[in-house]
Amino acid sequence: MTRIIGSSAVIAALAIASYGMIAAVVGVKRREAALVRSARAAAYTCFGLMTVANLAMIYGLVTHDFSIDYVAQVGSRATPVFFTVISLWSALEGSILFWGWVLALYAALAMWITKSSLGSLGAYANAVLLFVSAFFYILLVGPANPFGLVSPVPLDGPGPNPLLQNHILMAVHPPLLYLGYVGMTVPFAFGLGALLSGRLDDTWLRVTRTWTVAAWSFLTLAIVAGMWWSYEVLGWGGYWAWDPVENASFLPWLTATAFMHSAMVQERRGLLRVWNMSLIIATFLLTILGTFLTRSGVISSVHAFGEGPIGTYFLAFMAVTLVFSMVMLLGRSTELRSEGHLDSMASRETVFLGNNLLFTAFTFTVLLGTLFPILAEAARGVKVSVGAPFFNMMTIPLCVALIFLVGVGPMLPWRVANMEELRRKLRIPGGAAVLTLAVALTLGMRDFWGLLAFTAGAFALLGNVQEFVLGTMARRRAGGGSIPRALWGLMNSNPRRYGGYTAHIGLVLMAIGITASSAFRMEREATVRLGEMVELGGYTVRFEELWAEDQPHRFVVGSRFAVLINGRERGEMNPRLNYYRARGSEPITTPSVRTRAHNDLYLTLLAFESDGSSATVTVIVEPLVVWIWIGSLIIAMGAFFSIWPRRRRPSPVRRTRNELQEAGVA
Amino acid sequence: MNWKRSAVGVGISVPILALLAFGMTKNPNVIPSPLPGRPAPEFALPVMDEPDTVRLADLRGNVVVLNFWASWCLECRHEHSDLSMAARLFEPQGVRFYGVLYNDTPTNGRTWIREMGGQYYPSLVDEGSRTAVSYGLYGVPETFIIDQNGTVVHKQIGPITLSRLSALIQPLLDEPPAPAVPVGGDEAAGTGVTDDAMEAVAGDAAEVTS
Amino acid sequence: MMGKKRVIGGVVALVIVLSGFGYLMYGGIGENLVYFVTPAELLERGDDAYERPVRLGGQVVPGTVRWNADELDLRFTLQDEDVHVEVISRKAPPAMFREGQGVIVEGSLNRDGVFESSNLMVKHSNEYRAPDDHEVMPAEKYRDLIRQTN
Repeated sequence: MTRIIGSSAVIAALAIASYGMIAAVVGVKRREAALVRSARAAAYTCFGLMTVANLAMIYGLVTHDFSIDYVAQVGSRATPVFFTVISLWSALEGSILFWGWVLALYAALAMWITKSSLGSLGAYANAVLLFVSAFFYILLVGPANPFGLVSPVPLDGPGPNPLLQNHILMAVHPPLLYLGYVGMTVPFAFGLGALLSGRLDDTWLRVTRTWTVAAWSFLTLAIVAGMWWSYEVLGWGGYWAWDPVENASFLPWLTATAFMHSAMVQERRGLLRVWNMSLIIATFLLTILGTFLTRSGVISSVHAFGEGPIGTYFLAFMAVTLVFSMVMLLGRSTELRSEGHLDSMASRETVFLGNNLLFTAFTFTVLLGTLFPILAEAARGVKVSVGAPFFNMMTIPLCVALIFLVGVGPMLPWRVANMEELRRKLRIPGGAAVLTLAVALTLGMRDFWGLLAFTAGAFALLGNVQEFVLGTMARRRAGGGSIPRALWGLMNSNPRRYGGYTAHIGLVLMAIGITASSAFRMEREATVRLGEMVELGGYTVRFEELWAEDQPHRFVVGSRFAVLINGRERGEMNPRLNYYRARGSEPITTPSVRTRAHNDLYLTLLAFESDGSSATVTVIVEPLVVWIWIGSLIIAMGAFFSIWPRRRRPSPVRRTRNELQEAGVA
Repeated sequence: MNWKRSAVGVGISVPILALLAFGMTKNPNVIPSPLPGRPAPEFALPVMDEPDTVRLADLRGNVVVLNFWASWCLECRHEHSDLSMAARLFEPQGVRFYGVLYNDTPTNGRTWIREMGGQYYPSLVDEGSRTAVSYGLYGVPETFIIDQNGTVVHKQIGPITLSRLSALIQPLLDEPPAPAVPVGGDEAAGTGVTDDAMEAVAGDAAEVTS
Repeated sequence: MMGKKRVIGGVVALVIVLSGFGYLMYGGIGENLVYFVTPAELLERGDDAYERPVRLGGQVVPGTVRWNADELDLRFTLQDEDVHVEVISRKAPPAMFREGQGVIVEGSLNRDGVFESSNLMVKHSNEYRAPDDHEVMPAEKYRDLIRQTN
């Protein structure tokens, strides 16, 4: 029954999305408002149907209905309810189902907010959204059907992939990733809507700004949650390995970041209009490419995902969207020409241009490194992989340059900079940079790029903090009250600007954390007997005990290590190995991490004697890791602060609605 | 709209898509198996629940389909009916189907076969996975098609379908490969063809030509 | 409006930057390629096989695994078909490492014919294995441990 409800909802959604798509286009062509309205209703209906389908799947999972293909694949009676629910996105079919729901939610929201205010642009955007939705519904009906019938019905299932049920972050990472990935569909749809309708002014940019920033923040959080997850679970003490799966989520982030910045240049100065359109199209296509790469088995990755005919579907979809958007973009490019022009090299526009140039180079590097194995096989027939050194060598200089720009940007005004003011603003950050360099050198740091990264980091951090300080001081002089009050007032006076600066500060903290934790990482592997100790980086760990515990869905071998600092006991750590019963005997390492502001102590149990007499462990000490996670939260806070709805300013939507009424379109 | 420029857009898109389409045809997780085109590794495995032992060497002259499976593998469930169907279709034409139980207990295997409503062909028990190792198995299911001379013709990774099986087996039945010429010495013993098999092959060939 | 000269200058600068970047990328990728090979392919390379980073994929031959926990010294033989390569790793085997399994080792072949691995990756198919006949379930394997702790 659950199965039937779920699959009928998906089929109905496919039919309605297809109808809506056609109705929107025909409605605009024939100027029939009723048809356009019905297309909007289709978007709402799809959301309702996808909600039903997702709830049906969750119900099937929770009630262990193993006649449903997907439940038989990832369900198990022994798995705790929480992990059973989140196994909705633990394998391919379920995650496509969830993706379909998120997309339907976004499409319905976008249509509900804009209604008919955008005229033909909105109708075309709706058509694009429904087209993308229909593609996912086709997947759900065909190759990734989660509601297939399993017969005879198995009595129990294997349970979700143990790597995914081993940590709570897996409950967070995929939904955030989908919120980010799918969110990029909205600006893409409105961009294409602008191209299709010929309304090539900045309307589409302004309408979707909130969407872009929100989706970008989700994507940022998702990437960092993924990093954090691999740090907490995989047991090698790292968080980024340039694995294709990681790159797949990083690529659209790079273009989206470039887009957010260059969109400001367009809004302010009317420049870069073709470029912005290209960036948002690229961002959307990269989300699809990323999914294609990771879900079709084109590229080898340590993260094993299911493979199947789904790759062909993604390729076909990508072909249609790529060709169509290229045709539309280039066909309209003469009409999209810039209105404004660049006034001076010393201006914020220039910094944004530099930022875009660097991000483009960054995207190409990562894309090339990721796709190179296919290129090499096509050209020379050899199997190769591109090692992390390539990515590091190419991207570290780019990162340093970007961090430097993060510092310079806020110092420069739009149009033309006042050199006197620039010099004044450079003083403190520049001083901090020189000081950092000197301190690092005297402490014996000799790594060229590490030194540059710290120097640029100090410069950028102070450069952005300075803006808050100067602004707050000015407000207080003008009678703004206490410091927090003045600061809050300042931030709210221009949320976009100060939200942006906050995000910059978070980014710099992340960069510092990444640099420090990779440059000063210490690692030791050792086999210890009971009572024996391992020393590393000011910590001593003593092996106290090995224990085992039988739990319903897994079997745990745990260890207890005492942590000593300067000979004094400062707590204990329990790295473990979890054996998930239904999945066989492969143990999943569960490292134990002791996080402090200045460094992390990281312990992984690798092997042990079954009588409990000895254990082999990896001890890792990594400085400043926690600032990577904190930095990402600050980024997201800044980004959400900048788009939080406020009453003071007229919303961009309302503004465009007025414009529309003037133009007599709506 | 400027259609000339639009055409440029198509021109840019095509090579990108072609590259990705090419990537689709390759599976990067698999180091190319050297097996297809080479003699299949010999094995002698006990039949599950029966006293017999199956030797690959005894099967020269027959097309052999070797399917590695396990009760804990979901994909094996999906391909099971197609394999049984293919066995029913091709067994009368001398094609031998064998399952090889991989990394699983015969008890589990028996339960699974019962649950699936039977298996049309016998399954072999691969103690210690030595046969799986010599066939370079990465996971289950994997299916190997071995021709009348004992040469591996195809290695299927992942579930196989009835149409794929037919497409692979039928040509071997229609046009059996020329029997390997015994060179003499050890090699002949390894890849050589028994006289019976030679006759069988010759007989098949005669049928086709007549 | 920017003068024509400046536009040309900008384009020239861009071309220089891009070609420099392209050159870097080309060189960088060439140096950092790691080839995937099987033991047979590795040995076929003859003299070129030695001391070059590669990823070697094959099956762990049952019965060849020697793991010395105190010395952190792991040795085993990788096989594909009938070609064997001895592998040594200075790290503890990953949790999912087991005999008869497909693994990929990253490292290079020493002059003495032993492959020194810097990174051992277990190839897992999407399916997870059930324990085979020879292996007792972990709970039984570590029964002593449980008894001690409970």
